Amino acid sequence: MDEQGVEALILLGNSNVAYATGASWPLEDPGRANVKRPVAVVTADDEQPHLFTPFPGLATPGSCLAEDHVHGPVYLEFDEGAKAFGGILAELVPGERKVAVDELPGSMRRAHELLFPGGAPASADDVVGAAKLVKTPDELGFLRTALQITEQAIAPVQAALAPGVRQVDLTAVFLRAAFDLGADGNILDPIFQVMPARLADGPWTTHGDIACPLVTTERQLARGDVLWVDTGISYAGFASDFGRTWLVGTEPTPRQQAQFRSWKEILDAVLAVTRAGATGADLTRAALAACGGRTPWMPHFYLGHGLGVDSAESPFIGTDLGDAYDERQVLAAGTVLVLEPLVWDDGAAGYRSEEVIVVTDDGWIPLTDYPYDPYGD
Amino acid sequence: MATEVLADDRGLRESRRQRAFAEMEANDIDVLLLGREANARYVSGAPRLWTAGTRPFGPGCVVVRATGAVHLVSTWDEGIPDDIPHEHLFGITWNPGNLLAWLRGIDGMAEARRIGTDSLTPRFAQLFPKVFPSAELVDAEPALQAARRIKTPEEVEAIRASITVAETALAVALSELRPGVSERHLAGVFMEAMARQGVTTPATQRVAWISRRRPHGRGEAGAVGAADLVAFDAGVVAGGYTGELGRTWPAGPAAVDAATRALYRQADDVWSRLLGACEAGTSCHGLLAAYEAAGHPLPPFPIATGLGLGFDVPLVDRHLPLTAGQDRLLPGMVLAVTAHVGGEGPGAVLRKEAVLVTAAGPEVLTTSPHWRP
Repeated sequence: MDEQGVEALILLGNSNVAYATGASWPLEDPGRANVKRPVAVVTADDEQPHLFTPFPGLATPGSCLAEDHVHGPVYLEFDEGAKAFGGILAELVPGERKVAVDELPGSMRRAHELLFPGGAPASADDVVGAAKLVKTPDELGFLRTALQITEQAIAPVQAALAPGVRQVDLTAVFLRAAFDLGADGNILDPIFQVMPARLADGPWTTHGDIACPLVTTERQLARGDVLWVDTGISYAGFASDFGRTWLVGTEPTPRQQAQFRSWKEILDAVLAVTRAGATGADLTRAALAACGGRTPWMPHFYLGHGLGVDSAESPFIGTDLGDAYDERQVLAAGTVLVLEPLVWDDGAAGYRSEEVIVVTDDGWIPLTDYPYDPYGD
Repeated sequence: MATEVLADDRGLRESRRQRAFAEMEANDIDVLLLGREANARYVSGAPRLWTAGTRPFGPGCVVVRATGAVHLVSTWDEGIPDDIPHEHLFGITWNPGNLLAWLRGIDGMAEARRIGTDSLTPRFAQLFPKVFPSAELVDAEPALQAARRIKTPEEVEAIRASITVAETALAVALSELRPGVSERHLAGVFMEAMARQGVTTPATQRVAWISRRRPHGRGEAGAVGAADLVAFDAGVVAGGYTGELGRTWPAGPAAVDAATRALYRQADDVWSRLLGACEAGTSCHGLLAAYEAAGHPLPPFPIATGLGLGFDVPLVDRHLPLTAGQDRLLPGMVLAVTAHVGGEGPGAVLRKEAVLVTAAGPEVLTTSPHWRP
């Protein structure tokens, strides 16, 4: 905040609020979450943020906010709510304050004079995004728990794989287990995508490459199906991420085992250059070299991304932001990365998994602890 | 639910799009740049990946009034209706430059005088005027809310279907209610039963909580005790539409005494007054007044919200009395209306029903049984 000359941050995004206050609540459908959302106000001269929450009694399980910093809801999507918030803000930060926000619904723009007497608000994403990059030991603890819950909840799903089982049945097993194990919520509709053998057998795409992730349906699994699995949960405000390739009712063929070995070589090549001080471009170069120059990740996504209060957050590595952007992404000790290279072997589908690691001064520490079965030795 | 990703039915799509274009015309909006998934779904009819919580604003769907075309960010055509051709799809991008280049190239964009967005960020608030210097940037949410608040007959059917899924899942969760189970277990059972019905996306995720804990009936930490009351507030998102309801059940016979019976009777009283206030043409303030008339304080959360693609206006909450006074109930609105009495000490009884406002009076869409004193 000091660097950007900002006196107050107003945060509306769920993950930004969770990050700034330590509060967590069971996340809701986005339509409702836009309206019934906690809001955080962080001021430069107060160590504690203020939390305005529509979840009474759920305000602060993971935080240590003082009681006088936890307030009832402000409905910033409504003109009446935005105006009332102007009064609250004037008391917290009097005068022509310089403010940064992460979102500007129309009602806040209509209340511009009241909310932003110091001029147009700056972007809070710059302030929060920079802070989020390096995880504290506490944050790593929550992330580890979130990942453990996910891995324990996905094991019975893999055990349930069989011809005739529907994709939604896998979701049923996963959600039941995740909540029983202590998850606060599901953060994305879990993906159990049956991959086509050839790209030409899959949906049309804008780039001619893989269509993934496709939404889960009541499709029944068949023997030999190649499933790309991708899911995550939230725990105490932190997100997990999980990705593996599974086979239905069969063992991998030699060709499929070869896909896995190629994937492992790409992953190992990337991990070999991963350490504090390495750039995102170092990682993409290592992946490309290990794959003979063909891009071994989905071109509409990335080779890797950060993980924290968001299931995908900075740093993003290998996106269409380009090589120059990747060169500027310098890894720091404490950054948590999800690496998700893939191998596509047209005619026999492909292999994709995700590995979560934390970057250290001289390398990395694995956070994922789940087998590659039925692939590998 | 189907065995492949399907676009919303043609009838649903066309009836919604007609309402959206009518509001664009009424509000003199030439182009919509939509970032909110429910708005994008409303005009496109395309299901995209569900994620929980808010998302940062970024235009992922564009509607041009002059051409009648819908353009969408989607890397594939799976689930995309056939009235959105391939050339109107744009692959997922992380690069604002690529996104703006796509927007610039859309037919009808250059001529737009008024461009409506459903939210903004400081960055897009700076960028858009540079990219579209001759256009005025306006808030499109009022127009979209006006379109969406009244449900078409096809939408009411979609909400009914969603409510059926929620009620079936709630019945399964209720069958697991007994002393010793945890709140999270009940949530997990609800989610499992929801997914077995082919719906994998919840509207809310807390699902169940202990609304009264009695010392003599207390179980393990986080577990339901024999004398506890347990509130269920559960919803699902099926085909994009939210179906939800709330019920409160005693954990067992030990939870039932004279005070419990009195709470349930009071909740019934509040509920009947709320239902009486759901008359077309009346102000939403009548819902707030129902609590006062029954002699109960308003709860610290909304007592009515619109149901539709996720959430719709009106939102009736004690923090927004002026808004409630200005909003009118109109035929075709579907509301989730909540009666809530009690609090810490005696415990609370929550009852949430889905109500369709019609010219002939309110129709209660939810049918799940209640515990009766």
